[in-house]
Amino acid sequence: MKPRVCVLRTDGTNCDQETAYAFEKCGASVELVHVNQLRNRDVRLRDFQIMAIPGGFSYGDDVHSGKVLAVEMVSFFREELSEFVAQHKLLLGICNGFQVLVRTGLLPDADLGKIKVTLMGNDSGRFECRWVDMRVQKSPCILTEGMEDVVVSYQAAHGEGKFYAEPEVLDDLEARGLVVLRYVDRSGNETMSHPQNPNGSLRAIAGLCDPSGRIFGLMPHPERYVDDTQHPLWRRKKGAEPDGLLVFQNAVRYAGNS
Amino acid sequence: MSIQEIRVIIKPGLPDAHGGEVLAEVQNALSITTLRQVRTAKVYRFEGISPQEAGMLAENLLSEFVFQIYTVNQPVIKDADWLVEVAYKPGVMNPEAASLVKAARDLGLSGLKAADSSWEYAFYGPLSAAEVDLITSRLLVNDTVQHIVTRSPETLAISGEPTPTRTIRIREMDDAGLLALSKNRLFLNLEEMRLIQHYFTDTGRDPTDCEIEILAQTWSEHCVHKTFKARVIVDGVEKQPFLKRLQEATRQINHPLVLSAFVDNSGVMDFYDGWAVCGKVETHNSPSAIEPYGGAATGSGGVFRDIMGTGQGAKVIASTDMFCFAPPDLAWDDIPPGCLHPGYLLRRVVAGVRDYGNRMGIPTNNGSLHFHRDFRAKPTVIVGSYGILPRDKAAKGQPREGDLIIAIGGRTGRDGIHGATFSSAAMTEHTISVNAQAVQIGHPIEEKRMHDVILMARDEGLIPAITDCGAGGFASAVGEMGAETGAVIALDRAPLKYSGLAPWEILLSESQERMVVAVAPENREKFVGLCARYNVEATVLGSFTSDGRFRATFEGLEVMDLGMDFLHDGLPQRLMPARWEAVVQPEPPVTAVDDWADALCAVLGHLNVCSKEPIVRVYDHGVQGTNALPPFNGVDGDAPNDSAVLTPLLGKPYGMVIGHGLNPILNRIEPYRGTVWAAAEAVSNLVAAGANPDEIMLIDNFIWPVPDEVMMGALDRAVDACADFSVQLGMPFISGKDSLSSTYRTTDGQVIQIPPVVCISAFGRIADVRRTVSADLKRVGTRLLLLGQRDLAAMGGSVFYDLLGYTGNNVPQVDLSVLRRVFETLYSRIQAGRVLACHDISEGGLATALAEMCFGGGVGVEIDIPSGIPAEQFLFNETPGCFVLEVDSSLQDEDLFAEVPWLELGRTVSDPVLSAVSGGRKLFSVGLDDLKENWQKPMNGVFGE
Repeated sequence: MKPRVCVLRTDGTNCDQETAYAFEKCGASVELVHVNQLRNRDVRLRDFQIMAIPGGFSYGDDVHSGKVLAVEMVSFFREELSEFVAQHKLLLGICNGFQVLVRTGLLPDADLGKIKVTLMGNDSGRFECRWVDMRVQKSPCILTEGMEDVVVSYQAAHGEGKFYAEPEVLDDLEARGLVVLRYVDRSGNETMSHPQNPNGSLRAIAGLCDPSGRIFGLMPHPERYVDDTQHPLWRRKKGAEPDGLLVFQNAVRYAGNS
Repeated sequence: MSIQEIRVIIKPGLPDAHGGEVLAEVQNALSITTLRQVRTAKVYRFEGISPQEAGMLAENLLSEFVFQIYTVNQPVIKDADWLVEVAYKPGVMNPEAASLVKAARDLGLSGLKAADSSWEYAFYGPLSAAEVDLITSRLLVNDTVQHIVTRSPETLAISGEPTPTRTIRIREMDDAGLLALSKNRLFLNLEEMRLIQHYFTDTGRDPTDCEIEILAQTWSEHCVHKTFKARVIVDGVEKQPFLKRLQEATRQINHPLVLSAFVDNSGVMDFYDGWAVCGKVETHNSPSAIEPYGGAATGSGGVFRDIMGTGQGAKVIASTDMFCFAPPDLAWDDIPPGCLHPGYLLRRVVAGVRDYGNRMGIPTNNGSLHFHRDFRAKPTVIVGSYGILPRDKAAKGQPREGDLIIAIGGRTGRDGIHGATFSSAAMTEHTISVNAQAVQIGHPIEEKRMHDVILMARDEGLIPAITDCGAGGFASAVGEMGAETGAVIALDRAPLKYSGLAPWEILLSESQERMVVAVAPENREKFVGLCARYNVEATVLGSFTSDGRFRATFEGLEVMDLGMDFLHDGLPQRLMPARWEAVVQPEPPVTAVDDWADALCAVLGHLNVCSKEPIVRVYDHGVQGTNALPPFNGVDGDAPNDSAVLTPLLGKPYGMVIGHGLNPILNRIEPYRGTVWAAAEAVSNLVAAGANPDEIMLIDNFIWPVPDEVMMGALDRAVDACADFSVQLGMPFISGKDSLSSTYRTTDGQVIQIPPVVCISAFGRIADVRRTVSADLKRVGTRLLLLGQRDLAAMGGSVFYDLLGYTGNNVPQVDLSVLRRVFETLYSRIQAGRVLACHDISEGGLATALAEMCFGGGVGVEIDIPSGIPAEQFLFNETPGCFVLEVDSSLQDEDLFAEVPWLELGRTVSDPVLSAVSGGRKLFSVGLDDLKENWQKPMNGVFGE
C-alpha cells in the first residue's frame, strides 16, 4: 500500500503543492490537509504515516516565523502529535515547517512546548532566495540515509533562517549527532561566509533531526529539486540526479516498510 | 479598559538586523555619522486582558528566551539617548493584529478585545533633536499611514457613527456649483457633470451621495478609459479610437490559441492538456509615489486578483515587476516638493513587491528597472501576473438572474476611498495630504487563503462568475458583473473593519483582498462552508436581478437606484485632437573611444544596464518549483537570462515563457520607433530562450502624461506601432491598460511630464522546456554568431549616448518582416538543438550581451569587429531583435542561417577576458572581473551586497 502523507496547510502556506508533488513522484499518496480540518476532526492525523509541514508564511509569520502555527499545534494537537511520534511515524518540516518544528519543541527532542533552539532573522537583515550547497552529516536522520558526506544543492528562500542556540546546546546537538546538514563553500568546507551560508547560521547548521531520526527539519527546499530542470544549471549538467529526490524516496520507503 | 503593553528585544550581543539596517540607512542616506547604534524593540498592545495574561502571552507567543528579552508594562530599553516609537495610524489596518488575536485566543485568552503592534527605535549617540526628526521623518515614518506614538493609546478600538446618506441638490446647481462639487472629489469635467444633472432632472429627483460617487468612479479615466475609447483627430484627419485599433489587430490575426482577449480580468491563451494560461499587467504609479511600500504591495495584490478573477478562477503562477525611477543618488535639492526620494522609493517599492509576492507564494521571476531624472516627481510602477486554469473554465463567467452576490476575503474599511478618481487626476504637491486615504497596506495572507478557496470552489463547479474588487470596490465589481442583468445589494451586510462607514463609503471603498463571486442559491451552503474551512469570510450581499438596474439599500432604505445603461454607457464618446511634434535634440559630436576598458566599464555600470540581482534575490523566484529558466543562473549564479520559462504543471514538459520590453527614453524621441523597440525587445526575450514565434501573446501598458494635443499625437504613434507590430508579427494583444496621469505640477506652476512609457509584456508556450536555452556560455572553443539586422548608425537614446550626455534623435529602425524571419530561424535552430547559448542585444548593446554571457559561463570571448564599421556602433548600438548565439565549432555554415542576416562574431576562450580585434588590430582586452565589479556595483550600493 502506498504510504499516506499529510501535507499540512494553513493560511499562508505556499510550498504545499510542490511538496505534494515530490512525495507523489516517489510513490506516496498525498492529501493536502488544512489545519482547520484537523481541528474539526474531519481528518485524523493517525490515518497518515508521514506529516510534512511545507514552506510558506503561516499566518504571515507574524510575531516570529511559524510561531502562530506552532502555538496552534501545541494548543490543539498535543496528544495527536505525541501519539504520531510515539508510533514511529515521520515528520518533515521544510523552511517555514522547520521553524514550526523548532517552535513547537518537536525539534530537537520531540518535547512539545519546550523550545531549545531557534531560527532568527538572517544576518543580512533580509529575505534571500539563492541556491546553496550543504554537506550531509553523519546523523540518525532516516530521510538522508545513504547520503552521508554527500554535498547537495537546494534553493534557500527565507528571511528568518539563522540557526541559533546557546553554545552548550549546540555542543550537545553535535555530540548527539543531530546536525543533518551544514552549509559549505565551493571547496566543500563548512562555512560562515555569506552567501554560501545564507543566513549566518551558527556552526553552519542548515538542518536538524531528533535522536530517533524520524523528525527532520531544514531551511532550504529539497522539494524544489526533484526534477532535473528545476536546477538553474541543468543545461550544464545534463542527466544529474536531482538532489532533493532522495529525501522523499527515503521517507516513502521507510513509511512503506514500517 | 486598560491596555497591556509588552516590549520585546533581541538579547544584547546578538545581531539586531532591523536596527543594523536602520543604522546603515542613516549613515548612507542621511550622512549622519554621530549615530553609533540602533536597537529595535517590538511593542505589542492588548486590550481586554490582565497583566498576568500579558505575561503568559509574552512567554508563549511574543518572545523566545533563546534570543529575546521582554517586559510587561515597563520600558525594555532604558539606556538609549533617544527612543522613538512608530505605529500605524489608527484606522490603517495592521496585518499582524489579526494573528495576535488568533494566537491569543488559541492560548485560551477569550476576553481579548483588540491587539496592535509597533516598533520602538533606540538611538545611541550624540544626536540633536533635529537629527532625530530627520531620521524619523525621512526613514522611519511615512505620514500617510504611520505616526510617532507620544503616549500610549487608551483604547485600540475604532468606532464611529455612520454619516447618513445625503441628497445632493444637483438639479438646482449652476455650472460653478457643478464644478465646485466635482473639484477634488469627483474629478469629472463640466460636460460630464451636466450629463449627471440632466439624468436626475429627467428622473425627477436629486441623487444621493452614493449615486454621485458611483458615477464619478465608473466614469473616471482609470475605469472607463475615456481617452483610449475616444475618437481621435490626428492632424485634422479622424482615425479609429486607440483601443479599437489594438482590438482590430487582434481580430485580424484571428490567432487559434486566443481563448479570451480584452473581455476578462486578464487575457487567456490555450496551453496544453486541457489547460489555459493567462496574463495581466497593471500600473500602480500614484499610490506608489505616495506610499511606495503599500502602493507597490497592493499593486501586486490587485494584479494577482485579476488573475484569480479570470474565467471561473485561475491559479497565480508568476509575478513580474517593471519600474522606472529617478537615479537613486539624486540630490535632495533636485526632488520636487511633496515627492519622496527615489532611493527610498526604490527600496520601499521593491520591499512591497517582495512581501506581497513572497507571502502569497508567487514567484517573481521577470522584471526590469529603468532610470531617468524625469521620474523624480512620480515613478512608474508596473506589476504583472500570470496564471493557469482549466480550458473549459477559461471563458468569462456570466451571472444569471437569482445568483447570489457573495463578497469574500477582507473586510471593508475606509481604505482607498477615491483611489480610482485620484489616480486619474494629475498629481500636485497637495496630493500627499489631500488623498492620503487613497493608499493602504496590503494583507497578502488574506489574499492567499482566498486564492486557495477560489481554486477549490472552482473545481467543485461553484463559481459561475467572479471578479475582483479593485478600483471602485463593490461599486465597480458588482456593477460590471451585473451590467447585463441588474443587481441589488444591502450595503449594511458588508463586514466592516470598524463601524462608522457611510453607505457610499462601503460602496466605493477600495479595501484590498476582496472579491465578488456569483453563486447559485442552491450552492450557498457548500460555498460558504468551503470558505469557512480556509478562514475566508463570505457574506451574501444581495443578488443579480433582471431589471437592468443597480440598486443598493442600507438598513432598509434605498440609497441608490441607477440604470446600468446610464452607468456604463451614459458617457459620450470624446473627440480628441492629436498632433505630433518632433523635438530635435542636440546630437553628440562624433567621438572615438580611446580608453576601451573605461568605456566598457562605464556602460556596464550604467544604471540602465547594471546587474539587478540584489532585487531578484529578495524575491522568492523559485516558489512553486516551476523555474526551468530562472532570472539568474550561470556558474556563479549571477548572470541574467532574457525571460522566465516555467513548468506550471509539475512533472510535465510544457513550458510557459514570460518576458517584456520597455525603454522610456525612446518614446520621448520618437514614439513609433520607441514602441516598436519595446515590442521587439519583449518578443526577442522570449525567442532567445526558445519560444515559438507562432505562439506568443502580447499585453500593452501605456503610462502617459495627461494627454494634451501633442501627447495625444505621441500616443497615436505608439498605438499605431503596437497594431503594426502585432499584425506583421502575427502576435495578438489580448490584454492591456492605459494610465494617463504622468504629469506633476509644482507650487510654482512648473509642469513635469514624466517620460511616456510603453511596456510590452509577452508570453507564450513551449511544448518541451528541454528545448530551451539559457544565456550563459557553455564552454571554451565554441563559435559566437550575431543574428539579426542592426541599424548601426542609429544610436539615439542609447546608453552610450547618455554617457556622453546626449539623447540624440535617431532611434533604431526595425524591419518587421526581417524580424519575423529572424525569430522563425532562431526558433527552428534552438528546436534542432544547434544553439548552446543565446542572449538578445538590448540596452548597453552587443558588449553588454557578451559580457553577461561570459559572466554566466566563466569563460572569455574574442570577437572580430568587421572592417568599415565604427567599433562604438558595433559594440553599443541597441537595435532590438538581434542575438548573440553560441554554437558548436563543428557546425557547418550551411546548417546556419541562410535566409536571415547574420555574421561570424568570434569564439569563446579560456582566458577570462572580453577582447576585440578590429581590422586585424587588437582593440582591447578587458578582464571579466573588472567588468563584473562595475556591473554589480550600482545596485549593491543601493541594496547592500
